[in-house]
Amino acid sequence: MGTARIVFDRWDGRYAARMRDVRSSAVRDLFAAASMPDMISLSGGMPEVSRVPADVVARVVRDAIRHEGASALQYGSSDGRPELRAIIAELMAEIGVRISPGDLIVTAGAQQGLDLLAKIFIDPGDTIVTEGPTYVGALQAFSAYQPNMVCVPMDDDGMRVELLEAELARLGPRGAKFIYTIPNFQNPAGVTLCAERRRRLLELAREYDIPVIEDDPYGRLRFEGGHMKPLRALDDEVIYLGTFSKIFAPGLRLGWMTAPKPILAKVLLAKQAADLCGSNFAQVAAERYFRGTRWRSVLRDLTETYARRRDAMLESLAEHFPPEAHWTRPEGGFFVWVTLPEFLDTGALLPEAVEHGVTFVPGTGFFPDGRGRNQMRLAFCYAEPDAIREGIRRLGEVLEGRLDLYRAFAAAGALPIAKGA
Amino acid sequence: MKEKIAVLMGGRSLEREVSLRSGERVCAALTAAGFHVLALDVVPDLVETLRRERPDAVYVALHGRFGEDGTVQELLEFLGIPYTGPGVVASALAWDKSLSKRLFMQHDVPTPPWVTFTADAFKEMGAATALDLVPGAVGGFPVAVKPAEQGSGLGMSRVEDAESLPEALLTALSFGDAALVERWVDGVEIAVSVLDGPEGVFVLPPVEMVAKSGIFDFSAMYTRGETEYFVPARLEPAVMAEVERLAAQVHALLGCRDVSRVDMVVGADGTPFVLECNTSPGMTDTSLLPMAAEAAGIGFQDLAVRLVRAALDRVK
Repeated sequence: MGTARIVFDRWDGRYAARMRDVRSSAVRDLFAAASMPDMISLSGGMPEVSRVPADVVARVVRDAIRHEGASALQYGSSDGRPELRAIIAELMAEIGVRISPGDLIVTAGAQQGLDLLAKIFIDPGDTIVTEGPTYVGALQAFSAYQPNMVCVPMDDDGMRVELLEAELARLGPRGAKFIYTIPNFQNPAGVTLCAERRRRLLELAREYDIPVIEDDPYGRLRFEGGHMKPLRALDDEVIYLGTFSKIFAPGLRLGWMTAPKPILAKVLLAKQAADLCGSNFAQVAAERYFRGTRWRSVLRDLTETYARRRDAMLESLAEHFPPEAHWTRPEGGFFVWVTLPEFLDTGALLPEAVEHGVTFVPGTGFFPDGRGRNQMRLAFCYAEPDAIREGIRRLGEVLEGRLDLYRAFAAAGALPIAKGA
Repeated sequence: MKEKIAVLMGGRSLEREVSLRSGERVCAALTAAGFHVLALDVVPDLVETLRRERPDAVYVALHGRFGEDGTVQELLEFLGIPYTGPGVVASALAWDKSLSKRLFMQHDVPTPPWVTFTADAFKEMGAATALDLVPGAVGGFPVAVKPAEQGSGLGMSRVEDAESLPEALLTALSFGDAALVERWVDGVEIAVSVLDGPEGVFVLPPVEMVAKSGIFDFSAMYTRGETEYFVPARLEPAVMAEVERLAAQVHALLGCRDVSRVDMVVGADGTPFVLECNTSPGMTDTSLLPMAAEAAGIGFQDLAVRLVRAALDRVK
């Protein structure tokens, strides 16, 4: 009989301290990977890339390789191809931001922009300010640099700037390294920062001398209401992150950043260390795609698709969710944010939902500090309207059963938060 | 002619991903051993596929509800296809932790004191008003709160005081219709695998688990580096003999065949307590049964072939 002592990660204990807080939960991974038959996923924020015509993409890639040839296969400049930067400058002009191609760099998705900004700004223990809840990928990118994260609550008009002001007053001038915001159809909350608050946020940032990072992946996916000027259009010191993931395809990993020149220079240094330069191959393909006009009708079609899915979700939420539940009404983007009675733990709800064939993302993952226990993010971007309706019906059923159970506990005085039950 | 083996995996269970990992390894092993292997997910056309493909036997690599609770076993009996592992009754008994603990009690198999609550007892009968009686019934805190039916430590928590009990029950009840509150026994956690066949019952070396978080739950089980394993467990010879005897007794008591894995905790004074029995033990690369078999000189492929042979022999 042999003796086998098995220690799995034999390198444990040798990793850098910065990786300590960047851990993915095994449970979350397994649920996220839930590939069960007829599972309805309301969890992933995946664009509907099937609406991007494959023949058009095939043609632009073929043309790009034919015409750009060797340069598509070669290393490129670390700030990105001038041709693509010119196209991005035009895209920015369309949303009210006048910049020249030299004022921006191409990144590997906006996600790389987040990582690079964290890398150049954050020392361990530095304070940064985000919305609460906020984008999980941003939390992940930032937390590797060990900041102290302060989250400012939101309501239907986005970040509550009066609470931001209170935080900044507490932190003092230059008391935070940056303020991170997703002003349009926020991930995960779905809400949009109103015009009045945009102005106030910028005033406060100027007053306390703190840079603002504006992450705008969904801005062009508006279903209703008028276009809102980006923060960058109101203040040219704002750092703006854009992406091709939602207006073309995330598979290209193409995004961009515009920032004041000195910041951009630092980011460029960090980017050279990270990957020398972005993918020329992806850039030449995107150039061809956006030089044509077809992308506009594709984007219009995509936006209409998402709008129909949002409608299906809002309608079925009203029909199937208990009266105790509240949710946001996004005017664009991918997500609805649901708030349940305080005593409900959405993490504990997930297993039952999974067994009923529907997934969502529990709220705590969107906060760095354990808040969001009674909240959940529902993505309407990826499922067809009928699937969304069925998913919400299943989820409503699970919720109703849970609420009954909670009410029984509360009625017996077994839960301290009986109020509101 | 090569025998055709259908490996059932996946299904709509919370342990789907674990099952897919088990199934993939089993498929590779059986293919290498020369079988004609068919990997099947448990989806609505499963029965149709089984009838069309007519496998000589089914390897049940399912974990969790439907795969481990007797449902699939009953279906395969009806279809007349031999399958690996324990039969319908043993599966159903082992799946229900409350029922199997009652059996342990009746047959003097030591198991920690516990109480069981169903969701309906709370919803329809006001059971929440009696939670104050729980500490008295199980011998005080801390307690383990877990779903009565589920594997992989899903939904389990350790509760230190009466105040945290309702929360833990609500969590456990989100994994199933009943929850167990069981006295927490501090000690060495071990898993004792049992194989049986024509030559009789054979207890494999006990595996000892030491979770870094202090609790061997789902994430400790399936996250590399989160748990250390010792094979055989570091136990006194007398205790070792006792846990081996208990494992064989539980295997027989529930009517298991081919294989089972009995999970126990050995208290500080060397007294072993049986917690539960698993009739479809994991076969992933961090699973306990393959680890124990390896220590006994039975490689993964031999183990898988042995289980398939036992099923095939049942038709002869």
